[in-house]
Amino acid sequence: MSDKGGKGSSLPPKGIKSSLKSTTSNGGSFKGKEDGSTKSKKGRKVQFDSDKVSPKSSGKTESLFSKGNTGKGGKGDNTASTVKKSPSKPPPPLELKVEQELPKNAKCIMDAEALQILQGIQDQMVILSEDPSIKIPASFDRGLQYAKTTGNRYTDYQSICVIANVGPETADEVFALVPSLKGKKEKLMEPLKGVLDELAKLKQLA
Amino acid sequence: MFLNVQLPWNVIIPAENLDAKGLMLQRSIIIRLLDEFASKKATKELGYYFALTTLDSIGEGKVRQHTGDILFPVVFHGITFNLFRGEIIEGVVHKVLKHGVFLRCGPMEHIYLSSTKMPDYRYVPGENPVFLNEKLSKIGKDVVVRVIVLATMWLEVEREFRALVSLEGDFLGPVSSF
Repeated sequence: MSDKGGKGSSLPPKGIKSSLKSTTSNGGSFKGKEDGSTKSKKGRKVQFDSDKVSPKSSGKTESLFSKGNTGKGGKGDNTASTVKKSPSKPPPPLELKVEQELPKNAKCIMDAEALQILQGIQDQMVILSEDPSIKIPASFDRGLQYAKTTGNRYTDYQSICVIANVGPETADEVFALVPSLKGKKEKLMEPLKGVLDELAKLKQLA
Repeated sequence: MFLNVQLPWNVIIPAENLDAKGLMLQRSIIIRLLDEFASKKATKELGYYFALTTLDSIGEGKVRQHTGDILFPVVFHGITFNLFRGEIIEGVVHKVLKHGVFLRCGPMEHIYLSSTKMPDYRYVPGENPVFLNEKLSKIGKDVVVRVIVLATMWLEVEREFRALVSLEGDFLGPVSSF
């Protein structure tokens, strides 16, 4: 693979520009146009002089493979278009840091919520499709399918909502507030306590 | 994951569609909005656009000088789908290659799981190639696999996302549907 310096493109063979969303805060260990900012929203060209590369990343850069090129596993590889892990330390486990990346006007919703909404729309599809001027996005079907497979897990969705909304502290509180769960009281006791602990932790962090 | 987004958009109604009957105006705004929503398909920040849920408000229309169109600022809620780094998703395998597999998750077709990110799995070639590990668990076509997202990529030209995922982590791997 060619190595580049300066403004030449270091695109992987398929001509894909990588806009790697990475949570590193390296402050200048990359060269070229890369300015080390963690959240630039434009596509970035990641460029290296491949002889001088040794990114002092905090371990969170991951190697982005060009799709045809997986032979070497990306560690210490010599392709100019890959971002290299620093070989000296094992990378810390990947954490979900969605809050940083979510745009201001967006909120996460559970798959089950999405399923309810999308199914509601599908129910009205018949009526909607009679009107030729109304268009539905192409990915709607796929999305509905995906929501069905994942969202169907929680059939007792409203109980989950109640528990999450109320934020109970003990398992007994939960059974008092959601009487439908009383039937499975013995089974649920232990896991409920664990779940409530986790939720309590999240409450404090919020 | 799914997102519920609130967006302010400007909807332009061309002069021809403006009718003497004022009631049709709201309908044509909604139709134009749906049209634009559908044609947008996806954006980098919010992901794939799925559906419009509610129309919150339609602002006052402004007449544009030269064309005679009217511009309405609208605010609405919609459902989008996006993948985030570090997220755990379940994808369905639709292509098995020597160095990895391609997964499909919702609207995204190009989710790549490299063989180097599948610890202990080796490639078994054949008519229906699969990846097999010592405990004989299989990653083959139409298998649901739980993976963690390492990186995502936005392609401006095709207006779609690609993602790179891995199995390195606890409780990741093929799942049995139940």
